Order: sequence, then structure tokens, then C-alpha cells
Amino acid sequence: MLDLLKQLCLIDGISGDEGNVSDFIINEIKDFCEYKVDNLGNIICFKKGKHTATKKVMLDAHTDEVGLIITSITEKGYLKFKNVGGIDNATLLFKKVKINGKVSGVIGGKPFHLLSSDDRKKAPKDLYIDIGVKSRDEALALVSLGDSAVVQSDFEILGECIKSKALDDRIGCLILITLLKNFDEYDFYATFTVQEEVGLRGAKTAAFSAAPDFAIAIDSTTAADIAGVSDESRVCVQGKGAAVSFMDNSTVYDKAMYNAAINSGITCQPKAFVSGGNNAGAIHLSGNGVRTMAISAPCRYIHTSNSIVNTKDIESMISLCEYMLKKLASGNLE
Amino acid sequence: MDIKELLYVLSELDCIGNITDAADKACEILSQYAKVKKTNGNNVIGFLKGKADYTIMLDAHIDQVGFIVTDIDENGFLTVSTVGGIDLRALPSRSVTVHSKQKITAVFCSTPPHLSNGDAEYDTISKIKLDTALGKKAKDIVSVGDFVTYNQECFDLANDLVCGRSFDDRAGVVCLLELAKRLSEKELPINVAFALSTGEELGLRGAITAAFSLNPNEAIAIDVDFGDSPDVPAEQSSVLGEGGIITYSPILEKKINQKLTNIAKENDIPYSTFVTGGKTSTDADMISISREGVKTSLISIPLRNMHSEVEILSLSDLTHLCDLLEKYILSGGVFNA
Repeated sequence: MLDLLKQLCLIDGISGDEGNVSDFIINEIKDFCEYKVDNLGNIICFKKGKHTATKKVMLDAHTDEVGLIITSITEKGYLKFKNVGGIDNATLLFKKVKINGKVSGVIGGKPFHLLSSDDRKKAPKDLYIDIGVKSRDEALALVSLGDSAVVQSDFEILGECIKSKALDDRIGCLILITLLKNFDEYDFYATFTVQEEVGLRGAKTAAFSAAPDFAIAIDSTTAADIAGVSDESRVCVQGKGAAVSFMDNSTVYDKAMYNAAINSGITCQPKAFVSGGNNAGAIHLSGNGVRTMAISAPCRYIHTSNSIVNTKDIESMISLCEYMLKKLASGNLE
Repeated sequence: MDIKELLYVLSELDCIGNITDAADKACEILSQYAKVKKTNGNNVIGFLKGKADYTIMLDAHIDQVGFIVTDIDENGFLTVSTVGGIDLRALPSRSVTVHSKQKITAVFCSTPPHLSNGDAEYDTISKIKLDTALGKKAKDIVSVGDFVTYNQECFDLANDLVCGRSFDDRAGVVCLLELAKRLSEKELPINVAFALSTGEELGLRGAITAAFSLNPNEAIAIDVDFGDSPDVPAEQSSVLGEGGIITYSPILEKKINQKLTNIAKENDIPYSTFVTGGKTSTDADMISISREGVKTSLISIPLRNMHSEVEILSLSDLTHLCDLLEKYILSGGVFNA
């Protein structure tokens, strides 16, 4: 399972440029379900189970990750960029990037020695990518405006945890692939959606196509269980299982679904802070409205190239998804 | 090994405090060409005998910037102190290597999005905790006093630019090793002493004892200086790919610079010059005041993103610097009259 997650995470695919992620996923799932790709690039899968589902259930994960888009090139060949998705500039300075998965570059900055004591305290700004060329023409031979860049980092195991880029939301993709391969009790829909990080856009059209009765958004959420953060601001804690949301900035969740998960007996925890959002925000407003819940991986340093997730929490998420899928598809939720 | 291979091998090994992997490897390579010894302070010294009883000391520092662990909490978060000058703004979410009982990877905490007010302050290293993700177990593996280093591996950029950690001053060390290789095959007019000194980033420390024990007649330090980049004023930087930087300063010896410049011109070796008004913040500052004083100069390699783990240099600058120093030494130095 970790090997599959590693492969998923190491593919570069920022919002609007998810093609390589989608190709990889299709190759994994094509023998296990029917699928189609919609006009935005969402993969909409239908898996036939042993039993016909009483209620139509859709499980969703997004394929895109946060990254950078090249917006201009200076005369001397440095690339200027905009952030795609929410990124803290302090997590970009002096990092290695790859443009279009092939051209290496570095997010450069003023050397420490030349910073004024004021500058040393402030978040870096006016960032640029240095690919080692001397002119705009030389740069244009290697990259084009609108190209994607992604901060590179290794996938590593740290004790019980994994450290990687793109855990948000390749963990969700991993879980969907796992369910498509292994879960066969009831029919269900699985959607691998694009453009979550730029406003939950893929999920809108995917939910329209699938038109489910119930939906589960499978994503990552901030685990602020780190040094210096008070208990009430931690959102969720690593190692205590999947985080289940009652409310975030995009959705007030279906209370019956939330309660069913929290009382399932499977190790899980409430997402105990109203912050962030995920595809549920788009899905629950689709058609006549969809009863929706969110199951998330507690993730430290989310939206950075070195995010950390506990593998036990991923196992909890899979168990909880299977449990909820059975309960919902069989019509056993009021 | 060619210059690039040597740079990659040495930069991906570390040298900070009691971690001496890079120094050990450099010592092993240097011993193929010169008589070597390690001194009490972990300096590596190599010696090539020449005709005259006159010694030129070539110095580059082998140590690098990093961190040292000062506290380990119950939840696996480390407090560290910096070793050398580090840009704290670039630490959040960076992964680093902790040289503990077993080497582990850890990640500096970044501000969780819901707690960020867009106005983070990066003024105190002790506030930026380092996450081992090991929880309670961290205390069994990590000890106070363990060193922490960057871990970026080297990679190629366009043209002949390369990127990696610790190029400051592994690039200088690579030049010394390349020179030792070239000079070991030649008949030398003067003795050449190679000093790979430690502790530069903490106040030019290793060079103090290295210069004392070598007691040279003249010396040249090889270090890095600011390369051209969008954030650095042109007058404070040198362009990558235009050769080594011959540095002028009140504390440096002009006659060495003049001879270096003449040799560069006669042989069409690219070089640039940089002028500073006082101390250079390199080993040259200490070597020049060793014992009764040593006539000393400084040649630098232009480097972008200094003290980050993505330092960038041009390989041609290293080759040109070696060409220049090789000719200079074969010409017998400057005071060997």
C-alpha cells in the first residue's frame, strides 16, 4: 500500500495539470470498474458489487496538488510565478522545483548575509525560479508561460509516519483505488476529481454526473498537534484515526452521517475546529442537494512539500469508508 | 574523479562538529597526491615538497553551516540552535537530517494555515521546532548536542550550473584537491601546503591553528562570494561563469593579486575582481595575522543562495580558478626571490 502511495505522491500534478496522475490512476483501476473521463478530466468510476445499492453512494478524492504556475520570464531568464492553491511563501524559499516534470530549478533569494535585520524577520516575497540560464530566450527554449512547477521532495518513512509532497490528496486517491480493487459488497461510485485546490471545481461536475444520494469526500486536513499550539487549536491529532468533520468553511455536514461515523467503533476523531474546506462544499450543493460527509487524514505541514501523515490514520480511514459505504448503500441510515 | 563528480561526492557528505565524513573523504583523496596529516582541531593538512625552502599555503574550509539540538520534548519535537548563519525564513517545512544514534529525517514546523495571520515572524530559532514524527521515542534516538544538517542532494541546472548544499566551501576544497592532483605530477619550484580547515562558519577557527602550524611564506584562501542574482546589487556580486574572483582589500596582499592578474591575462584565463573595504569574513582574515603575519590573498567562487541547501555555482569557474592557481604556483609564488 505504501508503495502505491509513494508512486502516487511522486507524480507532479497541480490543479489544471492532473493528466499524469489521472493516467496512472486509470491504469490501476481499469480492470476493476467501469469508468469515464468527463470534460474537465475527472475520472468517474462505477463499481458493480454483489448487491445492488439501495442508495447511490459516491466517494470522492481529488487528484490535484498545490504548486506554482509560470507567469513571466525576466530578461535575464528568471521565471516569475503565481501560487496555485494556498501556499505559505516561507515554505518555498530555497527549495528545488521541477517544471513540467523535467526542468530542474531553484527558488532563489537574497543570501542571509545581505538581509537587513528587519528583512530577516519577514516572510520572503518576490520569489523567482532560477533554472541556470542567462536570458529569456534561453529560458523559453526550456519552459513556456503557463507551465506548472512543483516543489520536489523525497517520500520517506519516519517511524509510524510518512513524509512526502502531495499527500493532500493522493491519500484519498490511494483509498479510492484500494476500495475499487477490494470492496465488492455493494455498487458504488468513485470520483477522482480535478481542480480542488482552486475552488472545488472538478467535484462540481463529477457530482452532477454521478448524481448520488450520499457522498463521502476523502481528503486531508490540518493536524496542528505540533509544539507551541494550544489544545483547542489543534484541529485533530495524528495517530487518533480519521478526522470526521461536523463543519468547515465550505460545509455544514449531514449530522446523521457524522454521528454514524463517530459511533462506528472504528478509531476516529472529530475535526475539532471550523477551518478549511474540501470537495464536500461543491458536492453537497449538487442537483437537489447531496447528503455529504468528510473523512480526512490528519496532516501536519499540509500544502508543503514535506507533509507528514501517520499510516495508522490511513488504515482507520479505509475501515471507516468501508463501514460507511455499507451502511449508506444498504439503506441503513435514516 | 572529475571536478563535478568530486563536488557532488564531497557536498553530499557532511562536516560539522564531530561529524567529519566530508573531511575524512577529502583526506583520503588528498592522500593519493600529497603527504597528509590531521591536526588536533580536525584540520586536514596536505604537503607537496618543492625545490625552494618556501611554502605557499592554500586554504579552503571543510565545515558547513547547520544546527545543533538543544532540547527534545515528550512529543518528539526538537529545539535547535544554528551553527553558522542561517536564514530562518526558509526553515518552515524544510526536511533535514539529524545525525543522532541512527540518522533520521525531521521536518521544521510550518505555521498551520488556520493559525497564520500572514505576518509570521522568523526572528528566533528556538521558536521554530523540528518535528521528528517519532513522539516519545525521539528521546531514545536523539541526544542533546546532536548535529543537524541540510540534506538536499546535488543536481544539474541548465548550462554548466550545478546546485546543492555545502558548496560553501566544498567548492574550494574541490579546487584544492584538483590542484593537488595536477601539481603532484609536476616538478614544483616551491612547497605547497593544502589546508582543509574546520570551524570557519563559527569564526574562522581552524585557519588560526592551520596557519600557525604550517608557518607559510605566503597564502591564498579559496572561498565563495556572492554570485549574481536578482536580489543582489550588481556591485556586491560577481557573475557566474566569468571565472574566479580576485579579491582586493586593505588586509590582503596586492602583489599576489597583481601576479595572479598578469598570469590570467597572459593565458586568457577568465577572472573577475571584487573590492571590499576591510576584513573579508574568510579564513584569509586569520591566516594573514598568524605568527609574524603572512602575505595573504583570497580568490572566491561566485555562489548564489549562499548558506541555503540550494547553492548554485558554475563548474567552469572551478576549472578556471584551478588553471590560474596552477600557473601561479608553477611560477614560484610572489616573494620567492
